Amino acid sequence: MKRFDIDSLGEKLLRTFAGNTSRRSFLTKLGATIVAAPAFPLLPVSRARAASKPDRSPEAKTAFARNAQTKDDTKCDYWRYCAIDGSLCSCCGGGVSSCPPGAEPSPVSWVGTCINPDDGKAYLIAYRDCCGKSACGQCGCDNTDRETQLYMPQLNNNVIWCFGTKSMEYHCSTAVLVGKAS
Amino acid sequence: MIRGTTTIGMGRLAGAALIALLGLGPAHAQTASAPAAAPTMASVEPEEPFTHTLPDWSPHWGLVRGGWENGGTRIWNGDTGKMVGLVATGRWSDIALDPKRRAIYVSETIWTKVNRGTRQDMLTVYDPKTMALVTEIPLPGRLIIGTMKNNFVLSDDGKQAFIYNFSPASSVNVVDLEKRKVAQVVELPGCASLVPVTGVGFSALCSDGTLATVTVGPKTSTVSHSQPFFKAAEDGVFDCFVYDRTKGEIVTVTYTGLVRTVKLGASPTIGDAWSIQAAAGVRPGDTRPLDINWFPGGRQAMALHRATGKLFVLMHRGEYWTQKDDGEEVWVVDMASRKVVKRVPLKKPIGNIEVTQDAKPLLFLSGDNGLVQVMDLATYEIKHDIERGGGGMIVTPDVD
Repeated sequence: MKRFDIDSLGEKLLRTFAGNTSRRSFLTKLGATIVAAPAFPLLPVSRARAASKPDRSPEAKTAFARNAQTKDDTKCDYWRYCAIDGSLCSCCGGGVSSCPPGAEPSPVSWVGTCINPDDGKAYLIAYRDCCGKSACGQCGCDNTDRETQLYMPQLNNNVIWCFGTKSMEYHCSTAVLVGKAS
Repeated sequence: MIRGTTTIGMGRLAGAALIALLGLGPAHAQTASAPAAAPTMASVEPEEPFTHTLPDWSPHWGLVRGGWENGGTRIWNGDTGKMVGLVATGRWSDIALDPKRRAIYVSETIWTKVNRGTRQDMLTVYDPKTMALVTEIPLPGRLIIGTMKNNFVLSDDGKQAFIYNFSPASSVNVVDLEKRKVAQVVELPGCASLVPVTGVGFSALCSDGTLATVTVGPKTSTVSHSQPFFKAAEDGVFDCFVYDRTKGEIVTVTYTGLVRTVKLGASPTIGDAWSIQAAAGVRPGDTRPLDINWFPGGRQAMALHRATGKLFVLMHRGEYWTQKDDGEEVWVVDMASRKVVKRVPLKKPIGNIEVTQDAKPLLFLSGDNGLVQVMDLATYEIKHDIERGGGGMIVTPDVD
């Protein structure tokens, strides 16, 4: 079983990023952010790691996790959406991890740690915004499991993450499965 | 092609206007010939269109940001429930009012071709009376997030603006509002949500649980950090904290409901934390799942009436991690005695709260459905229900 690894997450995010853009100044800024934010997704993950056997019993789950479902990704209670804020791209002509036609995926994102009710395991989810078109406006969701305030932006769901895209106009949000969190 | 269409359109309009004018002639003559209608003649005198100016700013105004679909900020008179005017705030903007009422400021981002083209970040200055555009101060960048309470703040004397930027590296634009230009950009990794510190510069909350204080010099600045006093990922301080400029303090509230006062300065003093639930005789808030309690929440979850030291907090029932849920009650906290002195049930879900700072204060409330409510704090009665009034963040003018 592959465990979540912060380095591999960084590599995945940056590899995707590198494949999508050549904006040097942006990369510099992104690097500065990662250096400047040592707490970057370590906190929820490190908590999960610290416990030898994470407690995924119903009593240990958030209200969202206890009620989440795995069948319909156009509903706010779909399990990956535990910390999403915005229009679901799956309601806008896109998918749970893909952008609607003509929209550009952001290379960076905020993250959430969500529990899949089918296997009871926690997964790291990257909430990538789709950018460059006016707001989709469909299926607005605002879930806040382990969501933090603006001074911890990697876990804050208000920030528009359309960095490094041609236009920062926000269209909708996806929930890309990155890997197991524990 | 486009130009041709426009010309035809204008021609049609002009023609219609001419016909209307010609049509008015005989009707007007007929009215004049009827003696009984003589008194109405004055009402059909030709009119000169004109534009109003804003009346003197009232401490009972609430400036309420529209929701996601309409970002304009409507100015409501809390006494009459009537709209006074509108500040042009696009979706990606924040608003601030000069403490001496000399200007309305909008920190904003637009693109030259609406959803594409060249990005333009600026601090736009409007006249406080005519609301005419005075100038636009270019900014090197700013965070795009919709609107948040403490991303754009002014110094107490109104001479400096502090504008948060995230690119995604974190920094603050220090704007000289007298010279109307950016004076410097301060790198501020891991921190956000700003408050002015008189004689020093500004402070910000940080992800390591500290308060950063930035001493702004003429050309450069120095950053220092307090001891950690909260856990950002486990029980974070709401970034919509409130500022009391008369005391040089902020009041912070955490997700679980811990209230704390921080005295600002070059070396800030962090006060002790106490539970808002305990202050109301309720079990203190906890992070455990399945522990249903009253929790603070919303987008602009709290307001402070400075003169009386009353804190107003939006509270809702639920479990932990419901920090953005709308309020079901307003809890009125007396900061001096650390007691909840009143719990006011709300009939509609409310996400934003602000209080006027005068001696007969009004509470402005707004919710996602666009509803604006005005509550008289002498009686806790709702004075006005304003449909489609806004729904977003609320600002009230300062009073001297």
